[in-house]
Amino acid sequence: MVDQGYVRFRILRIIVIAVAVVILIRLFSMQIISDEYDEKATRNIVRVETEYPMRGEVLDRRGEYLVKSRVCYDVVVVYRELPKSGFDTLRLATILDITPERLQRQLKKASQSPRAATLVVGYLSQDSKLLLDEGGFKGFHTRFRTAREYPRKIGGNLLGYVSEVTENQVNKWEYYEMGDYIGTNGVESAYEAELRGEKGVSYRIYDSHGAVKGSYNDGLDDILPVKGAQLTSTIDARLQEFAEELMVGKIGAVVAIEPSTGEILVMVSSPSYNPDLMVGRQRNNNYASMLHDMRQPQFNRAVKSKYPPGSTFKLVQGLIGLQEGVLRPNTKYPCNMGFAYGSRKMACHAHSSPLDLRDAVAHSCNAYFCYVFRDMITNSKYGSVKEGVRVWNEYVNSFGFGRQLGTDFYGEGKGYVPTPEFYDKGYNQRWNWGTVISCAIGQGEMGCTPLQMANLAAIVANRGYYYIPHIIKHIEGRDSIDRKFYERHYTLVDSIHFVPIVEGMWRGVNVAGTSGKARLEGYDVCGKTGTAENPNGKDHSTFLSFAPKNNPKIAISVYVEHGGFGASIALPIASLIEELYLTDTIKRPHLIEEVKNFTPDYSRNYDAKQRKYDEKRKKAAQKK
Amino acid sequence: MISEYNISRRGSSTSLFGNVDRTALGIYIAIVIIGVLSITSASFDAETTNIFSFSHNYMKQIVWVGISSVMAAVVLLLDRRLFHMFAYPAYILGILLLLGALAFGREVNGAKAWFELGSIRVQPVEFVKIATALMMARIMSDYSFNIRRFTDLVKVALVIIIPFGIIVLQNDTGSGLVLGAFLFVMYREGLSKYIYFPVIFTIVLFIAALVLQPVIIFLVLLILFTLYSILKTQELEGHMRFLFGVILAWLLLSTLTPLSGYVSLMIVCGVAVLILTFLAVKTRTMMLLWPILMFVYAMLFVPTTDLLFSHLEPHQKNRIHTFLGLVDDPRNVGYNVNQSKIAIGSGGMWGKGFMEGTQIKYDYVPEKHTDFIFCIVGEEWGFFGAFIVVSLYIALILRLMRMGERIKEPFGRVYCYSVAAILLVHVLVNVGMTIGLMPVMGIPLPLMSYGGSSLVAFTLLIMIAIRLDASTSDGDIYI
Repeated sequence: MVDQGYVRFRILRIIVIAVAVVILIRLFSMQIISDEYDEKATRNIVRVETEYPMRGEVLDRRGEYLVKSRVCYDVVVVYRELPKSGFDTLRLATILDITPERLQRQLKKASQSPRAATLVVGYLSQDSKLLLDEGGFKGFHTRFRTAREYPRKIGGNLLGYVSEVTENQVNKWEYYEMGDYIGTNGVESAYEAELRGEKGVSYRIYDSHGAVKGSYNDGLDDILPVKGAQLTSTIDARLQEFAEELMVGKIGAVVAIEPSTGEILVMVSSPSYNPDLMVGRQRNNNYASMLHDMRQPQFNRAVKSKYPPGSTFKLVQGLIGLQEGVLRPNTKYPCNMGFAYGSRKMACHAHSSPLDLRDAVAHSCNAYFCYVFRDMITNSKYGSVKEGVRVWNEYVNSFGFGRQLGTDFYGEGKGYVPTPEFYDKGYNQRWNWGTVISCAIGQGEMGCTPLQMANLAAIVANRGYYYIPHIIKHIEGRDSIDRKFYERHYTLVDSIHFVPIVEGMWRGVNVAGTSGKARLEGYDVCGKTGTAENPNGKDHSTFLSFAPKNNPKIAISVYVEHGGFGASIALPIASLIEELYLTDTIKRPHLIEEVKNFTPDYSRNYDAKQRKYDEKRKKAAQKK
Repeated sequence: MISEYNISRRGSSTSLFGNVDRTALGIYIAIVIIGVLSITSASFDAETTNIFSFSHNYMKQIVWVGISSVMAAVVLLLDRRLFHMFAYPAYILGILLLLGALAFGREVNGAKAWFELGSIRVQPVEFVKIATALMMARIMSDYSFNIRRFTDLVKVALVIIIPFGIIVLQNDTGSGLVLGAFLFVMYREGLSKYIYFPVIFTIVLFIAALVLQPVIIFLVLLILFTLYSILKTQELEGHMRFLFGVILAWLLLSTLTPLSGYVSLMIVCGVAVLILTFLAVKTRTMMLLWPILMFVYAMLFVPTTDLLFSHLEPHQKNRIHTFLGLVDDPRNVGYNVNQSKIAIGSGGMWGKGFMEGTQIKYDYVPEKHTDFIFCIVGEEWGFFGAFIVVSLYIALILRLMRMGERIKEPFGRVYCYSVAAILLVHVLVNVGMTIGLMPVMGIPLPLMSYGGSSLVAFTLLIMIAIRLDASTSDGDIYI
């Protein structure tokens, strides 16, 4: 007889061994066969971290800092490291420059994830950081970051700012991740790729509570960040600051170019803003208040707006007439307080009559250029007025109007030059030279940016060509900027024809004409005023100038919305800027006073709009 | 009784310690040492500086190892008859402690199963295992005891069910299930194997009821039992007719009446069962009655399980759901197991080295020094280490069974088997949990998991077995 107990002992033994085999097979498949867990274990502890580079800095043409990168720190707290006995919150709040209440709020937030580093406050200066370190506040740590700093507080629109990337930008460019910073507007945007540098990567080991425990693989896989390139701008900081000062209270733009290179010396869009407003803890508030300002300080008028050029356009008109042979420098046209056509009349102001081309420029005679324009587009060699306007349009285009100049500047506008098709559409094919006559004197459908007008000044100064205006002349680590900035761009008008026009501009300043106030002894300033009619209120005041007449150093265009006559405000501003640039001093302080005391009346347009908008916002807020 | 086998000790000595089973003792010591090393590894991370501070778990555990050694020596020096005598008082004391913990105890992880004595926490259930093992041995070694007698079976069942009930009330179901280990012992002591069929059937039904639709369960059962009947009666046509008849009736009922598929299947099956029973009794084919009975049992059990399951505690429901793969939840309930599997799985063949396990060092495995201590072995010593540890446990279990067989009288045998079975369940459930084979139940890995009361209890449990075995050759018998 077989012992029943022994049989069962053997069965149980088999069960025990079966259990062991099942466990060991499972262990074998997990540990030896599968790779899944190795990867998961590495992914658990290793986190890839981005190391941010210092952003490149921007210098002005003389080597002075326009934009500096400042070291700053984010302050973070690890809640569980805080001393149990408490600490001097009042002193800490003072060092961090926040209210004790805010500090308490942040600490409460941090208590929800006690082991993680929670942001307390950003943009801590280096000095405050030293104070913080000295204070020995346990549990508080700092993180390296960089912020922008502007020594002269100028050029808000010109320089742009740095802001957090949007989701769209992250989707568009591989380089960026949420939370990164990117240049927005101005130089920051146009030269983003150069300024941002190269991000680095570090591999760090984290424990399950989110605390750093060291670098992975002894940091051998880490990549150091590369600092962004330093840019040298074409801007003259002193001149820029002076121009901004002069433009305070006025809406408009100033652009000055060095004609021999196309380098932009000054670019003011007014109202301007202090670029520091877009950095730091108050950034969001400042941005919002600018957003609600109907004068739109963030709108770069210098390159984006479409202003009627007014009389400054007569220069182009005259040049086209000369080139097309419908006009000779000595051709004289009568002017009896205007130019009558059909039943209508284009008014002009009082001056001697008849005038030749030089004096017509100097005195800015409306009638003269109406004749020129009419004679040109109605010339029988084109076959029709329509073809005439087409040829005219091509000429105007060659001066850089109605298209982007191709500058290195962000958000450059095109302006507008009417085409025959435009009139066909607008007037249902029924139009003649009289319909479009206002183009002769830069009115009507014409629209240009102040940059294009300054470029025109440079073209005239160069007697027929321009370099594409640009704002950066040197990039650290490179031999040259884009080659297109070294090429001359000629207009369709021959150099010879510029002589009488320049002569006229010189006379307007130095002999007799509308620009007399712009005279600078010994510098042969040439200038052309403009008074642009507009439907919104008082005329815009504009002035276009270069100096000296031979070997010009500066070409400038000033545009002041609703400033009245060209000579009343745009001219003195341009003249003062030229004076400072050419002579390094200002000998006419009274002129500065005059400019500063001059405030155009914006109550009918901007101010009324602002009032309406504010009321609407107030109502919306009350509803909430 | 003629034995085909002869398990006896190699030599015999008059000295008590000379009779101690050195293999078992050696394995015990090896496991304890591995445990202390693992806890040491779990106690350190990069920040730890003072390695000899008593605030460290491993230093505390070393103290407990010292205490356990003293306890072991005491047990080995005691007269074996004392264990026989103490069975009743120990059992009663154990039950009282369980009740005490239920009434005055401290709640840890949702289970009200702990006493707090100063800084030491004791879980009475650890000692109740010893007391129940002694009690089982005492009752089953009674001269008049016969496990096949119904009253005796009830007696044994009560010994297990009383503490089990209290433990379940403490909300410590995991520990309670360990008492199921005694089924292992009862099998060895001659419990009819037919008792195990319903047990296994119930477990299978339970899991099926949670995972599958009831309709599918019943259809499968219907087909299985018909097949069984075909095999038994060697008759095909009638069975097939019956099976298709039932299915046709079900389809008709569920489509023609507004009753749901489930309800109509239950009605059809109920009628079929009645007819079958009638036929079986009439034709006196009694062996048909077993499957019919099991089917009726299933018809009652499946709906009840669904009902009971809906009354489980949320954490228990979650654990079971996660284990059965019904919900994928690596963040919450699944987190522990997921991290534990990563730890063990990333160990490879030879492991990452002592104190080098990244999952351990950087605190990714929760409860790494207690319930999940096997992760340390798996991660830091790889398959090599895990193999050795599992082998040590299995060797100890097999050794205890061997010792049980060697002891010629039932008290020692039942006790040794009880210890083997308790260890087996602990190792299976604990290791199984860390590698995702078992649901998460908070029971420790014997002798390795950090915790004084657990270490002392398992030491006592095993040492009593060794002590009982050591005196086999003494020739003394119980009073």
